[in-house]
Amino acid sequence: MTDSAAEARIDRALVARALLGDDRRAFEQLLRRHQGMVRAQLRRLAHGDIAVADDLAQETFLLAWRKLDQFRGDARFSTWLHRIAYSCFLQACRKRAWPVDEAEEDATEQLPAPAHAADLQLDFERAMQRLSRAEQAVLLHCVQLGLSHEETAYALAMPLGTVKSHAMRGKAKLKTWLAAWQETAAEEKTS
Amino acid sequence: MNQNDADPIDALLRKQFDGPVPDGGFSERVMRRLPARRRRNGWPLLAGVFAGAAACWLSLSSSPLLHAGWQDWMHGEFSGPALILLLAMAGMSVLALGWTVAEADDG
Repeated sequence: MTDSAAEARIDRALVARALLGDDRRAFEQLLRRHQGMVRAQLRRLAHGDIAVADDLAQETFLLAWRKLDQFRGDARFSTWLHRIAYSCFLQACRKRAWPVDEAEEDATEQLPAPAHAADLQLDFERAMQRLSRAEQAVLLHCVQLGLSHEETAYALAMPLGTVKSHAMRGKAKLKTWLAAWQETAAEEKTS
Repeated sequence: MNQNDADPIDALLRKQFDGPVPDGGFSERVMRRLPARRRRNGWPLLAGVFAGAAACWLSLSSSPLLHAGWQDWMHGEFSGPALILLLAMAGMSVLALGWTVAEADDG
């Protein structure tokens, strides 16, 4: 049995315990197992705003507690949590009227090659901000959180085809914008 | 999982991701705010269903339509009254289904 299958089984058992005996300790274990990734997801979505991300994470887990009987095990528990977290984030965006970063569709120029790792971090962040919100969300879930395309589609409530095309387009844009850095890295490797 | 580290963009994205956030008291704060779960008692729903069915039966028991429909249905004849009875039951089932789905979504 793979690790992730074993983890999923543990989660399902904890959910069953939390539901059957109204066992708060079982839910606390679920919370401790998954809070790290859910908070990381929300911090990325909230562009590093830790206070907002943690408020949303708290809302996510309170909602998960209320809706626990609706978890049917057709997705992993972590994916189900990511779905609730993303929906909380979208609701907060609508309520607080956060500015939605529109993608610069026509922006194709490269960012200058950074000289240091810190510059690369800055350029990478700038490049990420220039992606559309959907592309950022898809790359976050698919690549950084390690969800499959199917799980990402479930978490973001998006059709699978849309997830795949956002992932491809997002990576292509990053490749273009960070091309100078990649060329420099390749040159450093060969020299 | 999309383990495509051969793609430099994937590798870069993973490198720039800080990973899971340490707990730092978060779980305790959430557990303190966890509300008591609402226990759903089944009896009000059951009592409502029986009361509704009894009220329907009482109000329709004097109607010849119900008797005729029931008799025809029992004899396997799909007459007008039998069809009306069938449609009424199907309609009520659809309404009950809709209500159940709405309750489940609302949860």
